[in-house]
Amino acid sequence: MTAAPALDAQLSFAVGDVAPRFHVDARLALDAGVLVLFGPSGAGKTLTLKALAGLVEVDSGHVRTSGETLMDTARGLRVPVHRRRIGYVPQHQTLFPFLDVAGNVAFGLPRSLRRGPRVTGWLEELGIAHLASKRPELLSGGERQRVALARALAVEPRLLLLDEPFASIDEAGRRLLGALVREIVRRHDLPTLLVTHDAAEAEALGDRLVRFERGRTMETGAPSDVLGPARRTVRGTVVSVERVDGGTARARLVDAEVVGPAEQVKEGPLEVHEQGSARERTGVDGA
Amino acid sequence: MTADAVFPVVLSLRVAALALAIAAPAGLALALVQARARYRLRRAVDALILLPLVLPPSVIGFFLILVFGRRGPLGMILERTVGLRVIFTPTAAVIASAVVALPLLVKTAQPAIEAVPAELEAVARTLGLSPLAVVLRVTLPAAWRGVLAAIALGFARALGEFGATLMFAGNLPGRTNTMPLEIFTAYQMGDDGRAALYVGVLTLVSLGVVLAASRLGPRLLAP
Repeated sequence: MTAAPALDAQLSFAVGDVAPRFHVDARLALDAGVLVLFGPSGAGKTLTLKALAGLVEVDSGHVRTSGETLMDTARGLRVPVHRRRIGYVPQHQTLFPFLDVAGNVAFGLPRSLRRGPRVTGWLEELGIAHLASKRPELLSGGERQRVALARALAVEPRLLLLDEPFASIDEAGRRLLGALVREIVRRHDLPTLLVTHDAAEAEALGDRLVRFERGRTMETGAPSDVLGPARRTVRGTVVSVERVDGGTARARLVDAEVVGPAEQVKEGPLEVHEQGSARERTGVDGA
Repeated sequence: MTADAVFPVVLSLRVAALALAIAAPAGLALALVQARARYRLRRAVDALILLPLVLPPSVIGFFLILVFGRRGPLGMILERTVGLRVIFTPTAAVIASAVVALPLLVKTAQPAIEAVPAELEAVARTLGLSPLAVVLRVTLPAAWRGVLAAIALGFARALGEFGATLMFAGNLPGRTNTMPLEIFTAYQMGDDGRAALYVGVLTLVSLGVVLAASRLGPRLLAP
């Protein structure tokens, strides 16, 4: 591991054509491992990822990865997107529809490497070797995200940005792919930023966690410290309740979901003071 | 068919192909800019692109003479520097066809390019592609149906160009008499058979092109 932190970034910018514009003011630091960007929808998590990758103009700030400066407004320095080597997996499906799976994974490689072991290696590592000649439209949500991950990893980025990569996957597949991603970025010692508004996911995958609120980064720390017990209160009208296992139930609210002790999670008006394993996650995706 | 009868067919195809060689790259570049860039004069440029579609061809021909004629700015430059006189030559027919094909090309390709998700291009950039490579490897392939339809329609329009060509390139037998002009000439001279021949060729080729374009199917052309 290098002495310099994997990521040291400070970003300040505003987006939107009409007033009031949405302001983002983010400070991010990661020595190594996985940093979770956590917070409700529209808190600026996705915009922050895009700004790191260089896809959104920044008014002031800097981005340094492992000691290398990719952007510094004070010095008038701005490495263009295609030279940053920052892998980016957006939330929504972004496979190239005119290429098969192998073509997608090989997309960012120089021509001479597109039909080589690098591609097959990543196909195997993500468990999609059997899909190599399939078109994206024939794949399931989970398979598509595996392809998108393999495509981002194949170009050997110095930093990986994952924007709710598991949002379109069912619960079981989500846990499986989460564990796989965790294992891959560890094995390759690849610093990773993961956007999520799922507390369980944040705790399972993150080494560090930074909480976003209305465009600002609030506290940073170990996921369990920042998320901590009994911090938030969820109120709303329950749409449905299902038993997860013995003592736990999941309630779906109009725009949120609560998992907690069955005696607390039941139909009718709901108020859960989050504690123990009770967790809340908002349901709508980020801006 | 005699050589004299074949000439307008070959000339028309050559003129349309050369016009497309100018109008297709220019039209696709304009469609890309209009679809993706946000700048102050965007509406004005849009109007300018559309103009040849709504103006009478004779007006376009007149403008072309103003610009490329012997006393026009570009006409003078070309004649003095490379000794090229444009007006009343096959080159003039190519320019006239390119100008009238351009708006159809841009307006067919633009919605197809706009429909390509910007996220697709963003991901390609993070994968190391320069902006030009993104256009060539993502935007155009993702919009290929619309792009091909645009090129097909542009070709058909260039092939059928009449008014501006008549004004700007003249109707010189064995030199600038494309099929549309030849139909006019033959009909005026009472040679209906000869006129019908080119009417048939043009109708068939254009029908084929439009059918192909509608199969490729941007919404614009869907029945």
